[in-house]
Amino acid sequence: MSTAETLRAALAAQDYPRVIAAIPYARYLGLEVAVHDTTRTYCLPFRQDLVGSTKLGALHGGTVAGLLELSMQLDVLIAETQLRLPYPVDFSVDYWRSAASRDLFCRCRLIRSGRRIAQVQAECWQDDPDKPVAFARADFLLRAVDVSAPAPTHR
Amino acid sequence: MSHDAQPIDKRDPAVRAEIARQFNTRIPHNGAIGLEILDVAGEIIVARLPYREQFLGDPVARLWHTAIGTTAADSTCGLAVLLALPGMETLATLDLRMDYLRPAVADAALIVEAECHHVTTAVAFVRATLHQGERERPTALCTAAFMRTGRSLFQ
Repeated sequence: MSTAETLRAALAAQDYPRVIAAIPYARYLGLEVAVHDTTRTYCLPFRQDLVGSTKLGALHGGTVAGLLELSMQLDVLIAETQLRLPYPVDFSVDYWRSAASRDLFCRCRLIRSGRRIAQVQAECWQDDPDKPVAFARADFLLRAVDVSAPAPTHR
Repeated sequence: MSHDAQPIDKRDPAVRAEIARQFNTRIPHNGAIGLEILDVAGEIIVARLPYREQFLGDPVARLWHTAIGTTAADSTCGLAVLLALPGMETLATLDLRMDYLRPAVADAALIVEAECHHVTTAVAFVRATLHQGERERPTALCTAAFMRTGRSLFQ
């Protein structure tokens, strides 16, 4: 199965672990998604090899940014039922607190989704959502979907 | 006579190479992804991230995920700042922005060239270019700001 077909089937079944499994880098980081009603919370389970400073035991800034960017990308993918990964045009992250040796959670806000561009924000935290570790924003290019392919059934 | 108080001569290529080696080994995630520091002799710090299947974002189109470039950029920018400062102090990434100009393709390494172009008493500013061998065809551009903590790396 191609990536598009895998994504279509997994999205139709709302099988988000399978969506993540289709993206090697998301799989490598160990990204997870939890869905409660309409709220999707993404999680980067702590792993020693994601650490950026042995002295502080802090997560690497790049892994924090990775969770933020992947979460926003997946959130656009799920909301738009795109058959291809929304392609990041640009991404920026503000680091507000250092991330300790614990799981990191992320929630996204889809600000605007047009015909070609989706604009998203995200925040991540560890113990308390009111004490965010980092904030990010990104623009994603929504590529044309193969029109000959059948539309996803859950749309 | 004690040599403890002697400032580190960061113009010395051997000293710069040793700082880079220690910097890279102190960051577990750099080791996990296999980031190599190639050149620290000049003002432009060059690092290389060899290709791995697990870095792909789209395994069918065989393109790197953009977010792994952010991790490589964060680490390389941090090293560029450390080598531009007079002493050895702890740094914190304040913010970082990526512009994804073109996709990075599988089977080829990702090169990061980072330059710390301005330092104040509190903040250091860095820019980086990511490419796959042709500097004039960047896959991404990065700008970042790092906060100087004033705290010694060795305390």
